Amino acid sequence: MKEETSNNSRRKFLKSVGITVGAAGVVSGFSLLGAAKAAAQEPGETVNLLTQDGQLVQVDKNQLRPTVTGPLTELQKRGREGIAGKSFVMVIDLSKCRNARKCMAACQNHHQLRPDQHHINVLQMQDAEHTAPYFMPKPCQHCDNPPCTKVCPVDATFKRQDGIVLIDNERCIGCRFCIAACPYSARIFQWTEPKDAEKYKNLTYNIEANVPQKKGTVSKCLFSADRLRENKLPSCVSSCPNGVYYFGDQNEDAVTNGTTHETVRFSQLIKENAGYTLMPELGTKPRVYYLPPKNRAFEFNGDLLNEENLH
Amino acid sequence: MKNAIKIIASLFLLFVFTASVVNAQKWQAPVLSKKKQNPYEASTRNISSGKKIYNINCKSCHGDATMGNMLPLQPVAPSDLGSQAFLIQTDGEIYYKVNKGNGAMPTFEKTLSDEDKWMVITYLRSFDQNKKESKKIVEVKNPEVTDVKLLLDINNENKRILANLTGVTAKGDRVALQGIELSVKVKRNFGYLDISGDDAYTNEKGEVNVQFPEDLPGDREGHVNLLVKVTDDAYYGEVIVDRIASLGIPTNPVNPLDERAMWGTRANAPIWIIFSYVGGVICIWGVIFLVLFQLIQLPKLAKNKE
Repeated sequence: MKEETSNNSRRKFLKSVGITVGAAGVVSGFSLLGAAKAAAQEPGETVNLLTQDGQLVQVDKNQLRPTVTGPLTELQKRGREGIAGKSFVMVIDLSKCRNARKCMAACQNHHQLRPDQHHINVLQMQDAEHTAPYFMPKPCQHCDNPPCTKVCPVDATFKRQDGIVLIDNERCIGCRFCIAACPYSARIFQWTEPKDAEKYKNLTYNIEANVPQKKGTVSKCLFSADRLRENKLPSCVSSCPNGVYYFGDQNEDAVTNGTTHETVRFSQLIKENAGYTLMPELGTKPRVYYLPPKNRAFEFNGDLLNEENLH
Repeated sequence: MKNAIKIIASLFLLFVFTASVVNAQKWQAPVLSKKKQNPYEASTRNISSGKKIYNINCKSCHGDATMGNMLPLQPVAPSDLGSQAFLIQTDGEIYYKVNKGNGAMPTFEKTLSDEDKWMVITYLRSFDQNKKESKKIVEVKNPEVTDVKLLLDINNENKRILANLTGVTAKGDRVALQGIELSVKVKRNFGYLDISGDDAYTNEKGEVNVQFPEDLPGDREGHVNLLVKVTDDAYYGEVIVDRIASLGIPTNPVNPLDERAMWGTRANAPIWIIFSYVGGVICIWGVIFLVLFQLIQLPKLAKNKE
């Protein structure tokens, strides 16, 4: 008899727990939907909400929308679509790079980055013990088969029709899967409050420039997508004093040098100079091409931060 | 008083000394290299092609010759290559410096051909007021004309562009202008692609015949924006003709988002991934609900047994 009651109580307990958990799951699932529907039906009612900076505000219920299906701002919408009919490519001529670092400065200025944060970084390279060292600017490669967008759990990073890979910082949850997935280490994470956060706090978020930068989200090179909309070359390309960068539309088979503004055939430039891409064995199909550091315009003097180089 | 003289004397010495140090750092070409002569004559063609090369390779730092609009670099700003102070050097000296480079100035030993370098020097020498080294040679003398017209005849079959440059003389005759360089360009997204080739000078009929590249893409219909102009505005002011021609290869831009791919966002995910994911979710939830259902059934089973 005693055994029976204990058995009974366990069963009852399990039963109740099972029902509660199951019901809670179903109810919470429907409650969001219900709340959204209810909000649409009852006009004029206000609710108290806590904002991000800890302030209590009263908002009309009709203003509330579920986060996932809510209307994106116009900027985000067109930023996701990209520029129709374009296919942007960059060519970096390593024989002309002397580590002037003007590209980095212009980029950090455009995207509101601190000096230690890089969307583009000039690296000192030496491929093997007896090979000649050289400088190599390394932006995001804007791959045609990007490993980073595959791993994003929230659709925050994506590829557009013009080939550019972007991040929506309003969506990014800061999981950093994409940083781990990128073989080129092109992405950075905003660990702290970004540069001039106070100054730019009222600025509308521009998905095509990643500004204002947001703490706890990922940021990376965007080929200055906001400038491309105005038919301007990316910041790094137009700020280079040594003619390192070419940028253009592959559909037109033409790239323009940012320093000399000379326009040349993309296919010819790559063919004549034996252009290559980084880590082709990974099958990422980068959109950034390199011309080998042959017949250099400057002697390599081996010091990344040499005063003499910095102009 | 004696002290003051001493101080002044030492200051003077110091000044002389520093001046000599600064002088020693000045960029000097070796004596031998100074004697090198420019093998090319100062013809209008050479000057014009030198200007082109200058605009591409030198202008971004040195600015326009004689304009003094060079980049304000530190510690040494690039010199104005059209200034008389610069042109005091011999052709050989300039050639040496272009080849070797110094500080922020890159070496052009391998990036420019010898001919290109001499063309640039010919162009720069055209600003020399002393003209010791060479004189400008004009091969063709065109009459004074007004109402300069540039006509285009585009042959779609063999993709040739025929430009004709004419002007009206004082007598009222329309005559061909000879030996004038034309630039034929195709508009691209960030600039103009020059397709005029090496020898785009008008012949005795005032004509230039340019072959459009066989494989240059146009838009969907193959249209390209052509721009033909007289290269040097100094002759007749700005003479430009703008034309849309269907000379390019029709190109349909490929939208990478049209096909489903692994890298696509949710909307563009491959069908098999959507199916296997949704299937997996349904299976897992199904098992959970099955277990819950069985748990509910337990008391009933117990009662039936009793």
